[in-house]
Amino acid sequence: MNIQGVAAVVTGGASGIGAGVVRILAQAGAKIAILDRNIELAETLAKEVGGVAVACDVAKDDSVQKAFAAAQEKNGAARILVNCAGIDTARKIASHKTGAHAIGPMQRVIDVNLVGTLSCCAHASTAMLDLEVLDDDGERGVLINIASIAAFNAPNGQSVYAASKAGVVGATLPLARDLAHYGIRVVTIAPGLFDTPLAGTMDDKLTGQLLRRTLFPKRKGRPEEIGALVQHICENQMLNASTIRIDAGFF
Amino acid sequence: MKLEGVAAFLTGGASGLGAASARVLAEAGAKVALLDRDMALAEPLAKELGGVAIECDVANHESLSAAVEQACQAIGPPRIAINFAGIDVSRKITSRSQGAHPIESLQRQIDINVIGTLDGCALFAERMMDLEPFEDGERGVLINIASGAAFNGPPGQSAYAASKRAVAGATLPLARDLAPYGIRVMTIAPGFFKTPLAETVDAKHTDKLISMVPFPKRWGDPREIGELVKHICQNRMLNGETIQIDGAMR
Repeated sequence: MNIQGVAAVVTGGASGIGAGVVRILAQAGAKIAILDRNIELAETLAKEVGGVAVACDVAKDDSVQKAFAAAQEKNGAARILVNCAGIDTARKIASHKTGAHAIGPMQRVIDVNLVGTLSCCAHASTAMLDLEVLDDDGERGVLINIASIAAFNAPNGQSVYAASKAGVVGATLPLARDLAHYGIRVVTIAPGLFDTPLAGTMDDKLTGQLLRRTLFPKRKGRPEEIGALVQHICENQMLNASTIRIDAGFF
Repeated sequence: MKLEGVAAFLTGGASGLGAASARVLAEAGAKVALLDRDMALAEPLAKELGGVAIECDVANHESLSAAVEQACQAIGPPRIAINFAGIDVSRKITSRSQGAHPIESLQRQIDINVIGTLDGCALFAERMMDLEPFEDGERGVLINIASGAAFNGPPGQSAYAASKRAVAGATLPLARDLAPYGIRVMTIAPGFFKTPLAETVDAKHTDKLISMVPFPKRWGDPREIGELVKHICQNRMLNGETIQIDGAMR
């Protein structure tokens, strides 16, 4: 798809990977809607890129529904959805020191990362169903989900986060199958260690450990590098149902 | 990596996915060397792209080694090397009508697709190791071509699927071997693309295959592989991964 002039919704677009995606898609000419819990950050970035900011908690379906309606009113129905909204609760499933992982944060991580992603896919794709096709192949839109390499290889303390992200990876193929008929593609990106507020919550020791397990380049990725991959996925129609790791070789 | 002015070697670069990728890379400013068995195809394309054509059988170590030397002389050592050369000897492992798949055919399948790719990686990486590093210490990138058959092979493709799964399997240890030198290794696993290799499949079978592609319901355009190759070259965080590009055909 040619991105120029197309409406794009980026959840969690106010910071981190989402903000990198917003900047790259905006540069490529997309009309941006940033859906984020942090409306102040979202508004600042929206102003910078000439987009709109909408307050949204992806774990609450009514909030998602209202946010998509608001975004659509401003920019028209989105042809691109990038699900970047995500949270982490680094905590062992049980330990002498902290006891059992509390159900509250467990539920919240799954609700935001997994249910939120699915719910945004549902609302965004529903709005795409009635859009004009863009080309002879019948393409209408593309959904891009941000998982994590934790889906494949997670350190201790990340069982819940890993489960939420593995859920996103697992959903990719059946989502693509559900939506192929309508010319909507679904691709998942599994980033490694990137320079984001989420990664910033890790202490230096853990960051160093993780970088040692990175092959090359031995640095945190930049959100704009995810943005560039998102742009390529939008533009390359044969990419569908794949999960692409972008992690500088993290194992 | 920026593509302007860098040397790119492509085995199997004279036709199909290799030719389309050579074209995309050349358009982005790379100097291309097409290492191919078929000089009648390689020479006109090289001329068109301002590159060089070098005769090469990737399953023959002396031939590949000489071709690498010749390509280095012509356009300088490679920053980008892509192993497109491959064959498909589609045949059931055994059947009442045809009997056992002959060993010569099995051997040829593995020699070209697996040994040819690994030997290419060895010889190309050797030339990259001492180059001046770019940003982040990057010296080069190797890209190998697997296939959707590596993960989901149809009947008659056991040898082909084995060869392509081997290429996918080698990706991580190759990336591990070469990370200290700032050389990345990536693999692309294409689905159904309009190439001379795919066109050997009979038309009835082709229609059936295309009907199995969820979206887009068409042959892939080799140029779409070229664009992915270009993105991989440009995006340094991509390393050690196999990317399936197949219109969701699983």
